Amino acid sequence: MNAPDRYERFVVPEGTKKVSYERDTKIINAASFTIEREDHTIGNILRMQLHRDPNVLFAGYKLPHPLQYKIIVRIHTTSQSSPMQAYNQAINDLDKEFDSLKSAFEAEIVRHSSEY
Amino acid sequence: MPELPEHLELKRTRVSCNFDAPTDTEPILYSGAYASMGVDNTNMEDFFKNFKIKINRLTEDEIEFDMVGIDAALANAFRRILIAEVPTMAIEKVFIANNTSVIQDEVLAHRLGLIPLNVDPRLFEYKSEKDLPNEKNTIVFGLHARCERGAPRNTVKSDELKWLPNGSEFLLATEDNDSDPAAKARTYTSFSCGQDSLPEFSVNPICARHPDITIARLGPGQEIELEAHAVKGVGKEHAKWSPVATAWYRMLPEVVLLQDVYDEKAEKLVRKCPVNVFDIEDVANGRKAVVARPRACTLCRECIREEGWDQYVALRRKRDHFIFTIESTGALPPEVLFTEAVKILEDKCERVITELS
Repeated sequence: MNAPDRYERFVVPEGTKKVSYERDTKIINAASFTIEREDHTIGNILRMQLHRDPNVLFAGYKLPHPLQYKIIVRIHTTSQSSPMQAYNQAINDLDKEFDSLKSAFEAEIVRHSSEY
Repeated sequence: MPELPEHLELKRTRVSCNFDAPTDTEPILYSGAYASMGVDNTNMEDFFKNFKIKINRLTEDEIEFDMVGIDAALANAFRRILIAEVPTMAIEKVFIANNTSVIQDEVLAHRLGLIPLNVDPRLFEYKSEKDLPNEKNTIVFGLHARCERGAPRNTVKSDELKWLPNGSEFLLATEDNDSDPAAKARTYTSFSCGQDSLPEFSVNPICARHPDITIARLGPGQEIELEAHAVKGVGKEHAKWSPVATAWYRMLPEVVLLQDVYDEKAEKLVRKCPVNVFDIEDVANGRKAVVARPRACTLCRECIREEGWDQYVALRRKRDHFIFTIESTGALPPEVLFTEAVKILEDKCERVITELS
């Protein structure tokens, strides 16, 4: 049969990069990042975090087709920043948030289980 | 710091559920959205300051907790990861030696795949296509059930799946049977040691999570003999690997009485609500309706359906307050599932940043 293998949804094929960066040729400080084998889970939080950055003029993501397992994140920034810098900062900020979220959750688990 | 006027603050922090449709559903994320008011909408510091988490209910396989101060995008990312990306073990390959029951081989294999297993997936590795099944990536179960002739019909339950810690017992067919008979006969797995010798399994042996799941029914004279191999996987590939029965969140409902409601009108309001959100309180100037249990509100909008009632009651949701519920299928306790989900999301972020060169 011609059905694609089930693992194709999350295994990055050999020879392709997980993330590739492509600069816009017409607009300065604009670029799109193609992230292989990712979906709305990462795309939406990345978009959310980029919108919080005051230097980001535009940030959006799309899943071009449900059977193409990749997302395209497009970032347009002011001249104070660059898409690469905004992207890196957004992910670092997210990482920090998760760290504090995890420790808050674990502390709450300890507190809750000591109560009962 | 200047504050936003009331109507804008309401738009920023609440979703309004009007009688015809919800409004203000989109969160306002842009950092400079309120710059003209002198209000900064960047909330990185606010996040660390305002984030709160509170567990309401924690049982063996269910957790409900409140998460305050995060965006819907994050809550949804956790939900998606819990459903599709936290790994578990599930039966993937079934070797059927004999099946004379009425249930077809492929249906039987599918049913076996969906049985939740009581085993911590973190102790195992993923098995790729080219890996040989070994004690690190495969769990083997044997099932041999028979219904004797003349006996009543027999139901095969999941507790009859017997864990085989030494691996497969089915011999691989080889071309040269006359080779060295002393050599150990090869089976479908190549375990280097028994799984029961590992300390984590000797205390609680691997079995199905629930002993009473019907696998098949056998009539007199029918028999099933098979071996099932469980491997590690994620819910993205097949729902049988999903560690949760379901994981969901809802925003905290907020019911506001816009004007005081008294006496007959109050009683009418109490009767309108199917989940008893409202109560009546006796006050000096009559019997007054109060919002007693806003958490129970399902936002069915029954209370504002009738003409004119939306002037008395406003239904809203708090945009950054999530009531998160996780129902585990039993492989991992629900609180561990959530921390695993956070770890997976961290890993994902790490990957999309390090592989960009």
